[in-house]
Amino acid sequence: MFSYYLKLAYLSCKRTWGMTLLMICAIGLGIGASMTTITVNYLMSANPIPHKSEQLYYVQMDSWEPNKTYNDNGDAPEQLTYRDGTYLWQAQKAKRQSIQTGMAAVIEPADKEVLPFMVQGRANSADFFPMFDVPFLYGSGWDHQADLKKERVIVINAELNERLFGGKDSTGQSVRMAGEDYKITGVIARWNPKPKFYDITTGAFNNVEEVFVPFSLITEQKFNRSGNTNCWKPTESGFQAFLDSECIWLQLWVELPTEQDKADYLSFMNAYAKEQHQYGRFARTDNNKLRDVMQWLENQQVVSDDASMMMAMSLMFLLVCLLNTVGLLLAKFLGKATEIGVRQALGASRNDLFIQHLIESGCIGLAGGLLGLVLALLGLEAIKVMYGDWIRDLAQLDFTLVAVAMGLAIVSALLAGLYPTWRACQVQPSVQLKSQ
Amino acid sequence: MISLFARLELGPIFRALMRNKIGALLIALQIALTLTIMVNAIFMMQERSQQMARPSGVDEANTFYLSNTIFAQNYNTQTSMQQDLQRIRQIPGVVAATQINAIPLSGGGWSMSLQTKAGDDVEGTGAAVYMVDEQGIAALGVELIAGDNFHNSDIGWRDVGSTKWPPKALISKALAEAMFEGNWKTALGKTVYIDNHQPVQITGIINTLQAPWNGWNGVERSMLVPQQLDGRGSRYFIRTEPGRRDELMPVIEKMLAETDRGRIIRNVTSMEQTRDKSYQEHQATNTILLTVIIVLTLITGFGIVGLAMFSINRRTRQIGTRRALGASQWQVMRYFMLENLLISTAGVVLGTAGAIALNIWLVSTFSMSPLSPVLLLIGVVALLIVGQLAVSYPALVASKISPATATRGRA
Amino acid sequence: MLTMNKISKSFITDDVATHALRDIQLHVNEGDFVSVTGPSGSGKTTFLNIAGLLETSTSGEYLLDGEDITKLNDSGRSRMRNQKIGFIFQSFNLIPDLNLFDNVDVPLRYRGLSASERKQRIEYHLDQVGLASRMKHLPSQLSGGQQQRVAIARALATSPRFLLADEPTGNLDSQMAQSVMSLLEDINKAGTTILMVTHDPSLAARAKRQIYIKDGHVSELTNKNSNLHVVGEA
Repeated sequence: MFSYYLKLAYLSCKRTWGMTLLMICAIGLGIGASMTTITVNYLMSANPIPHKSEQLYYVQMDSWEPNKTYNDNGDAPEQLTYRDGTYLWQAQKAKRQSIQTGMAAVIEPADKEVLPFMVQGRANSADFFPMFDVPFLYGSGWDHQADLKKERVIVINAELNERLFGGKDSTGQSVRMAGEDYKITGVIARWNPKPKFYDITTGAFNNVEEVFVPFSLITEQKFNRSGNTNCWKPTESGFQAFLDSECIWLQLWVELPTEQDKADYLSFMNAYAKEQHQYGRFARTDNNKLRDVMQWLENQQVVSDDASMMMAMSLMFLLVCLLNTVGLLLAKFLGKATEIGVRQALGASRNDLFIQHLIESGCIGLAGGLLGLVLALLGLEAIKVMYGDWIRDLAQLDFTLVAVAMGLAIVSALLAGLYPTWRACQVQPSVQLKSQ
Repeated sequence: MISLFARLELGPIFRALMRNKIGALLIALQIALTLTIMVNAIFMMQERSQQMARPSGVDEANTFYLSNTIFAQNYNTQTSMQQDLQRIRQIPGVVAATQINAIPLSGGGWSMSLQTKAGDDVEGTGAAVYMVDEQGIAALGVELIAGDNFHNSDIGWRDVGSTKWPPKALISKALAEAMFEGNWKTALGKTVYIDNHQPVQITGIINTLQAPWNGWNGVERSMLVPQQLDGRGSRYFIRTEPGRRDELMPVIEKMLAETDRGRIIRNVTSMEQTRDKSYQEHQATNTILLTVIIVLTLITGFGIVGLAMFSINRRTRQIGTRRALGASQWQVMRYFMLENLLISTAGVVLGTAGAIALNIWLVSTFSMSPLSPVLLLIGVVALLIVGQLAVSYPALVASKISPATATRGRA
Repeated sequence: MLTMNKISKSFITDDVATHALRDIQLHVNEGDFVSVTGPSGSGKTTFLNIAGLLETSTSGEYLLDGEDITKLNDSGRSRMRNQKIGFIFQSFNLIPDLNLFDNVDVPLRYRGLSASERKQRIEYHLDQVGLASRMKHLPSQLSGGQQQRVAIARALATSPRFLLADEPTGNLDSQMAQSVMSLLEDINKAGTTILMVTHDPSLAARAKRQIYIKDGHVSELTNKNSNLHVVGEA
């Protein structure tokens, strides 16, 4: 019977092809627009490290000026001063801790024919790699001793390894960067978490850095720091004065496996703030925060306003398209009143008619959904072109999204078809069979 | 009035509508939602367009910049930079060139707080800081409206870790107005304080120069200070004679790269590219919004056509009968046009409420500004016209129904 | 075969009750050919709709082939229509999207027969009405008489015991009407009970039994003369 209903749906759609096309287009456009924006929102709000996001905490200490909080809502600053960051890191109170900032430097390839080039990097402590489960192609990160001894060690990414060493295992070799030789301890495999949760201060969807070096080398002043620096208090000139200043410019992540660990760490932070308070720092001693990955991303609103606004708009757009479809289906089904009456006379029960018309609606929904999927792909391509590079990884359909799209399409079409179908089945056969 | 209503058959149309409530309701709801989305979308586009239309103050058509990153060891940065600037300035077609620490609209730069009184706990006004030399004004192409430009003797070197500021500054009119109660002229010659305590005299005022951050509410507030950063990374900002920028960009890049192998020249970018990139998201969002509006209007329009065609098909006999009873073609057409007008009116009334509600939500969630009533009115009129246009074809078809249909029955 | 006991039907519109049928008392035997006549608005169509299970009566008892119809729900009535009743309408009511084969197929689908049996029945019945060669044509490609013959083939495809015809010749010219009428007589001779509403006295007279409806009351005309014989009076 199912194939019979499919055939009837086909014939019915063929007869009113203009209308059918309009409905398919309406559903398709609605689904296409919604899926495009849902995809972007879904990927923007994705959990970049799902298996341990609840154990990784971003450390915020309120070292900001006494009379004014850093954020209008009273929240602690997004970054730490060098003094506070290094103190917490050196204390090693958490299972793991990574102190870090952005950096940039020029690499001079061994092959003198190749021009020197600039790389974006990260200065971080040894725990960075195991903490964030950074996958390695070759070798590994460095150890805590390398941090303490300020060893010139480096981890490079796969692209840079390709460029400098043709993709071969380069561990143990050295790279000349910022006028010094750095020994490669590892090459990371392709890894590009979105959002780039471990540092969102200069953009939540940037690509992962090309090189990683020990954070302790920052004091050697060989390469440039990069990222945001915010100061509230005048500082003396000179690098040491800068390190001692109240300027905030670095980030600290800690790994705390249990709630107890978290509570302990927070009291450790607060105790430190109290102690500093005695030296005239930390006007607010209890405004320190530990936020896990998702709380931090939420707090920093990595899902852009534009994206959420577009999603709201597109869902309303879908609603218009569905109303449109309800209206057209209603008209279409009521236009078939005579046929419905005849079928009833010939033995069709209301159930038969209900199924027949629901299948017709379902087919239109399916076609609309497929069109919507194609439009969503086009829409995502258009978004990549229009918004530029940073959105590339946020505009990909995966299996889940395709399934959601099809589900959304069919459910919407069935919902849209439900009322017209019900109305169609209410047709009184006797009224329809008299000649008009 | 009453006789006019009677002639227009509003009563019968309304009663007929009430018998097909759902159909009419669906169209009205569609129109309402369309209005809701359309008006807010246009409003969002307007906000963005206005932001994008603000001038940066820079001669964008004829300026570009590049980054100079030094990697060689034992390198005299000061000499090299001075030589670079001299060489650039000697190239025919170059109007002016300066070293600069940040680029307007580029997204990255410095800001400092300026105070009218010295002290640690004095409220200040944030301003973007551009460090330039005496050619800064000419290179940017900004207009000096009061006071004097820097002299060569004002320019000093600034070490990377330094926190010392020079004694002179040029500030933008908007910054002057923000600091001196709306009266920018009084700012000239005044001393203000940077970094809480360091005095700086305002020696000149420039008309417009935007900050590096287009989304900052203080984007119009900026200052120029006579300093050159002494470091291993610097930027040169260059202005050419009109029309020669594209030709000179590669020439200067090549010249700099070849004269000195101890550094990298990168990011050679025109100000126009910087503006495009700066507003790329705005531009994209506007394009999407525009597409949404157009498609939405089309869908609603076609929906009206489709439903009207069906309703006319169902009423063929009735229309034929009306024709047989003496209704003119125009009267039949008018019947359907009026019917649509009634439905559309209900739709736009509902839509006006919806548009305001959505706007209130947008205002509270995304800190947008409230909707302008004029825009709402335009939206209402536009949708009524769309409704009339959409229904005119089916109405025309209806008016062509032969009076003979009444007697012959359906084909 | 068919027994109506005190069947009444009233419609309530705008708080006014209209009595379309009042206490109909009727028995039709197997193999009968009954014609129903009466002025417009007399309740003929309502009578036929109730007889064909397209409408339910307001009160009364209706036995069709021994089964009490008033006790059936929608799907039960659908099954009865499908299995025991065939319909022929004045305006043929072929489904315009479907070709002749598929039109005749409609009731067979609801019967749930196998594909081969359906095909065999469709071909047989279309052949019986002389349209087997045009199976793939759409109804719009046929003349009115041909369309009605397809409708008859469709009505007979399920081998109903009972055929209801509502003005079957109303939209046909007299020659066509005669041929359709002969077809109905043949069908009746083959054993199918027929109930036919018509306004044409000459056609009505060809039926074995004539009943007359006026103001919702049924009366019987004795065959071959017009003496009124009241069956049931309220």
